[in-house]
Amino acid sequence: MVRLLHAVLLGLFGAGIVHIAILLLVPEMAERDAWSRMAMASDLYRMTRIDPEAGGPAAVGSVDPLFRAAACRFDLSDGVVRVIAPGNVPFWSVSIYNRGGQNIYSFNDRTSATGLLDFTILTPAQMIELRKDLPEELQQAIFVEAPLDEGIVVIRIFVPDESWDEVVSRYLAGISCTLI
Amino acid sequence: MLKTAFLTLLTLTIAIGGGTASLWYALRTPDGVGAVTIGGWTAFPEIGTPNADPYSKARVARQGILSLGRAEGLAFVADRDAGGAPLRRECAYRIEGSTPPARFWTLYAADGAGRVVNARDGRASALHSLELLRQPDSSFAIAVDSRPAPGNWLAVSGSGAMRMVLTFYDTPIAGSTGIAEVELPLVIEAGCDG
Repeated sequence: MVRLLHAVLLGLFGAGIVHIAILLLVPEMAERDAWSRMAMASDLYRMTRIDPEAGGPAAVGSVDPLFRAAACRFDLSDGVVRVIAPGNVPFWSVSIYNRGGQNIYSFNDRTSATGLLDFTILTPAQMIELRKDLPEELQQAIFVEAPLDEGIVVIRIFVPDESWDEVVSRYLAGISCTLI
Repeated sequence: MLKTAFLTLLTLTIAIGGGTASLWYALRTPDGVGAVTIGGWTAFPEIGTPNADPYSKARVARQGILSLGRAEGLAFVADRDAGGAPLRRECAYRIEGSTPPARFWTLYAADGAGRVVNARDGRASALHSLELLRQPDSSFAIAVDSRPAPGNWLAVSGSGAMRMVLTFYDTPIAGSTGIAEVELPLVIEAGCDG
C-alpha cells in the first residue's frame, strides 16, 4: 500500500515535470506557428493578404471583420528591409514580430509625420552603418531597429464601411516590401 | 518483480498522461494565466509580447496568432452576460455604458471557436464607434439581436455559444498601466427565443 502511494506521488511529481517541460518546448517545436503558416502561402519579401476576407491563413493576423491585413516575411541577415505604401487610409497600424510570432514593436499612422506609411526595418548594427551615409530617399522614413534576423511585418488597415473595401484592397496590393 | 513493473508503469502513466492532459487543459482554457478581467470582459494585455507568461507563449505558438501590438490596440472578450449566464446566439442582448479613451473601437460577435458570426442577408457583422448613434451625454446602447432593432443594431444569426469581442484601437489602456481602473460597457440579457 505504501509502495502504491509512493508510486502515485512519484507519478504526480513526474506529471509536474512533464507539464513544465512540454510547456517550454511548445514554442520551439510548434509546426503551425504564424511563420510556418505564412511560409506555406508565400515567399520572403512578398506582401500577402492574411485576413479571412482574402482567404488568408486561418487565425493568423486580424480576425476583426472591420480590418484587412497584409504581412511580409523578411530576413535581416540579407539586408535592410523597406516597406512603402501609396496613398491614404483612415487608420493603419504596423506590428513587427520575431520568428516565434512575438510582437517586438508596433506603431500606427500617428507615428508618421505625414501619415504616409514608409518605414525601414534594420538591426542596430545596420543602423550604425546606414547613419554614416543616409540615402536621400530615406530622409523621411521611420527607422525600426529590431534585434532579430527572421521576422514578420504585419500591416492592418481599418475598413469603416463597405465603400472603403476597394480602396483598402488597392492600398494593400500597392504595399511593397523590398530589400535595399 | 511483476509488482515493481506495475508500479513503474503506473508512475510513468500518471507522469506522462497527467502532465500532458493538464497542459492541454491549461492551454484550452480561455481565461488562463495572464488574463485581466474587468466586469465580465477578459483581455490579455501581455499576450504575444516577449514579457508574456509561458502559457501565453505556448498558446500563441500553437495557434499561430499574430497578436495586436501595444500601439495597435487591445481586445476584450466577454462570454457571459452581466448576470453571469453564458452568451447565446439565440438570445438578445443590450450592451450599454461607457468605454475607455481610444481613437475608435469595434464590436463583433464570435462563435465558440472564435470565428466571426455572420449576419443574415449580408449585413455588416461588426459595429464601430465612429458610426454609432449616441445619447446627448455620449453614452450609447447597442442591441445584439437576430431580429432588427432600432438604434444601434449588431445583427447575429444561428444558435449556440457566443462571445462578444470589443477591440479598442490606438488606446492608452493597451500600455497596461491603470488597466484595472478601466470601465467597460455591460452586456445585459434582453430575452431569448424558445
